[in-house]
Amino acid sequence: MSSNQSSLLLAMSTPPYWHCGRTVCKRSLDQLAALMPAVIMAVINWGIPALRVMALSVVVCVAVEALCCRVMQRRQTVTDLTAVVSGLLFAFLLPAAAPWWMVALGAACCMLFGKMLFGGLGDNPVSTPLVGWAILFVSYPYLMDANLVALTSDYADPLAILKYLGVARADEISIVDLLLGRQISALGAGQIGGLLIGGAYLLVRGVIRWQISLGVLLGVVVPFAAMQMSSDASASVAFHLCSGSIILCAFYIATDAHIAPTHGTAMVLYGITCGVMIFLIRTFGSYTDGAPFAVLVTCLLTPYFDMIRPKPFGVK
Amino acid sequence: MKELFTMLTDPRFHLVNKVSQRFSNGPEPSFVRLTREGFTMDPNIRKKTRVHPYMHLASHPSIGKGDLFSPMYGEITDITELSVFIKRVEPDEAMLAAYAEEPETDVMEAPERGQDLAVVLKRMGLNTRSLGQQCETLVVNCLNPDPGVNWAEPMLLTHQRHFLAGMEMLRRLSPAKKIILAVPEELKQLKFHGVEVVGVPSHYPASINALVVRAVTGRERPEGVGVVGLHNVWSLGRVAVTRRPLIDTVITIGSLHHNGNYIVRDGSTVGELFDFAGVQLNSGDTIVRGGPLRGESIDRLDRSITKGAIGLFLVEKGSIPPMEGHSPCVSCGSCVAICPARLRPDLLSRYAEFGLHKRSLEQYIDCCLECGLCGYVCINRRPVLQYIRLSKAKLGINVPKPQDLYYSDIRPAKSKASETAEEAKQ
Repeated sequence: MSSNQSSLLLAMSTPPYWHCGRTVCKRSLDQLAALMPAVIMAVINWGIPALRVMALSVVVCVAVEALCCRVMQRRQTVTDLTAVVSGLLFAFLLPAAAPWWMVALGAACCMLFGKMLFGGLGDNPVSTPLVGWAILFVSYPYLMDANLVALTSDYADPLAILKYLGVARADEISIVDLLLGRQISALGAGQIGGLLIGGAYLLVRGVIRWQISLGVLLGVVVPFAAMQMSSDASASVAFHLCSGSIILCAFYIATDAHIAPTHGTAMVLYGITCGVMIFLIRTFGSYTDGAPFAVLVTCLLTPYFDMIRPKPFGVK
Repeated sequence: MKELFTMLTDPRFHLVNKVSQRFSNGPEPSFVRLTREGFTMDPNIRKKTRVHPYMHLASHPSIGKGDLFSPMYGEITDITELSVFIKRVEPDEAMLAAYAEEPETDVMEAPERGQDLAVVLKRMGLNTRSLGQQCETLVVNCLNPDPGVNWAEPMLLTHQRHFLAGMEMLRRLSPAKKIILAVPEELKQLKFHGVEVVGVPSHYPASINALVVRAVTGRERPEGVGVVGLHNVWSLGRVAVTRRPLIDTVITIGSLHHNGNYIVRDGSTVGELFDFAGVQLNSGDTIVRGGPLRGESIDRLDRSITKGAIGLFLVEKGSIPPMEGHSPCVSCGSCVAICPARLRPDLLSRYAEFGLHKRSLEQYIDCCLECGLCGYVCINRRPVLQYIRLSKAKLGINVPKPQDLYYSDIRPAKSKASETAEEAKQ
């Protein structure tokens, strides 16, 4: 043995010794990359106010997580960038004209009640951004209504038109406008085109599970298509998909791995339940969108979905 | 497309590498360390005894475990409970004469069959336990066992003399009525006289014995089907072709930039092998004996490669994300998505982490195939497989030793805990 090797210190480890290279931080970077098209579209469509909301939300989320880790005397976890992703997703659910104090309050609630109080990443039973959104939605319904706060906008709110002015008016809205984000809705949730591009990226990279997205889309498309076929008094499926926050929920929020079940069949069923809930809320409920509430409620059922599992190898 | 979603995009997980080069001979070791655990040394073998190649050193009381032979000219420097150490010396006249007297045994001419043949082969240094197992159908797993390991194709295609001799011996040895070769899909047009060839998927974890059996029979854990590794068949062939006891093994030596197959002497030290292969070692690297997904890490360069080892790998520092001490499960679901046994490694690892081992039984911990993929995809770098092994050990479920992992099928042996649970139910 040569002398230079005698001073060699080897690292002991456990199998496997190779790793796919994915880490929490890289997953967050993937998610951020996927959100970028929608961020750019939001800035184009809503201008600086949208940028202001997104930046404030991200900053508050990161600060609250850092502070919580400090106070709870836990390992600092802000460096994994999950707070940035949560902050951005939360901002996507707010109107561009949301006042600064509401953004800050909601973002702080997200991190506190949606993540840190449960023990940090992966331990929260419901989606982090949705917790903050729900608190604001019930506390400040008028400020959270994009249609009311976006008074200066030339765009129209497709779901409000559908609900209050009828199908005939809703059918006049062009799908291309909806895809390009020329609609009044939450600042990020309405950037359908950008969200679809990002969603496809996440699917291909394997960051999100296709079973969940497919389930949500199926759950929305099938009932709406059936309704449209049975009566003329219903808006098209494409109209529904491109309005509100269905796409955001289907690719970014419902797919959050730790709030969803883990086995294939259970994931599809979970997605379908989400989708059908959206359909029910939109058709029979008083809320125009319904997607965030649908996900919020469905992910509480995840422990039950988790009971649906394939038999392990060799078990008869 | 499937691979995109299963997250195994690393091309090394494809177990067919179009390698056809003959195996290189490994280095002449200057020092060897042989495994002595459980062996009874021959009476004339003690410290300072001069030994020569193929000299009988020790035998094992177990019938399936091959005897121990000296791999080179040398002098025994030490004999401990676990190891025999031999230092190389230049042979003198007496040693050369003794070497010339070592008998050649043509096992192909031996009239024995079945168990009797196993005894003959045991005396030639072969481990015959998995080769002679009682079964109706015997499946020969001809896939590279782990990603990064490369010797399967050359064994099948290039070193055919060894392989065919090994198959002939296997036929005489095994009580099985039918022997099936499970080869990678890409090679299923291969024809061997009198042997059924079946193509099986060739993307890791397809090479796990239980999964190969499923691919061949279409059933999970069928009764009466045994499985044996190609590496073992090659060793059989080696003994038949050389007519000498087995004193070497085929391994793949691999690092980030190097990959080659070598026939190395039993007991060669890791340091010499890496030197020979031209692999540069640095502090902080991890040395792996066995495959990169299922092997064991080694703490010193004078540890050795012994019979049955399938590979020696260097994992360079920085080539994978480092493990941090405290890394809680973030419930990302990757391990569940990848698990070929359809288990929930996320739950199993958490149960082990918090000492709730009994709960692991409800989550079918005994079905784990120990492929290591859960740890491979874990985005928080948790030692998931290690946690599962910890629980298995605590529950008294049979955990195969690293050197046995590639040969024996991991069967869900009934643990004491599950038995008592069943009794309680009754």
